[in-house]
Amino acid sequence: MAEMDPGTLITLVTIIVSGIGILLGCILPAIVEGRAVLKALEGMVRQPEVAGDLRTTLIVAMALLESTAIYVLLIILILIFANPLLDRFFPRG
Amino acid sequence: MEEFFPQDMFQIFGIGVRDTVVSTWVMMGLVVGIVIIVKHRFPAALEMLIISLSDMLSDLMKRPAEPYLPFLGSLALFIATANIIGAAPMLISPTRDINTPTALSIVVFFAVHYFGIRAMGALEYFKSLASPVFLAPLTLPLEIFGQLSRTLSLTLRLFGNIISTELVVAVIFLLVPLIAPLPLIGFSMFTGLLQAFIFTALAAVFIGEGIEATETDVEANQSTDTERS
Repeated sequence: MAEMDPGTLITLVTIIVSGIGILLGCILPAIVEGRAVLKALEGMVRQPEVAGDLRTTLIVAMALLESTAIYVLLIILILIFANPLLDRFFPRG
Repeated sequence: MEEFFPQDMFQIFGIGVRDTVVSTWVMMGLVVGIVIIVKHRFPAALEMLIISLSDMLSDLMKRPAEPYLPFLGSLALFIATANIIGAAPMLISPTRDINTPTALSIVVFFAVHYFGIRAMGALEYFKSLASPVFLAPLTLPLEIFGQLSRTLSLTLRLFGNIISTELVVAVIFLLVPLIAPLPLIGFSMFTGLLQAFIFTALAAVFIGEGIEATETDVEANQSTDTERS
């Protein structure tokens, strides 16, 4: 394997890791959220009288679950737009 | 893409003032103006807003929320307007800058201790942080770590949700500038309102946790509830 300069290597690794990271960070919360919606819908069908209560709880729970995906997105945004390792080799002027 | 992130607009005594701060000032002016107009024209609307906020927070905290309403209500109003003001032309959401959510969650962090100390007294409150006294070296660091990490997650949740939806709007705007971003702007406003609700709800839950009602308090609340209904 040919010698790569550190900047290229870091950029390459960052791109690959970002792709894998956003993939996992989207899939896992989506599965868990889907399960939450499934359970809430089953509860609503079984007991329509508590549907309103369930809906507000569901929305709050969904937003809390969604925030795990958001954390992944934030880290990837930092990696892409403000990579601290890349700054070491190419200091901003 | 660089203009998407907050920039320094001008400097006061060598301290950079970002465009998000200017946007916050404009937003504060707008909110105060709207409230003054509504207060003169439709005072019942403001009353309705306050009552609905109070009911919502009382449900969340399982106790009357009136002592905490000035803090939590202004938190909710500020975050809600800050999140949806980004849809207005020339203005950007103050919460797009990570410093705004950081400041808000630090305020929540100190408010939890303030309300806890006010409700229980300083000594009792610090004793409740290290609840089984013989396990204090184990529980106290865990408690401190939990407090700090939930402050961090409160910050990042608000910031991340706002910046991600606005980033999606910006990307779609780059591709198709005409009609296509409109539904996404609506979605971004919905997310903003939802996040304002969640931030306030979590702050209410944290404050309620810090107070830790004794059994007599709970019974008193239940009796007042039954009297009210």
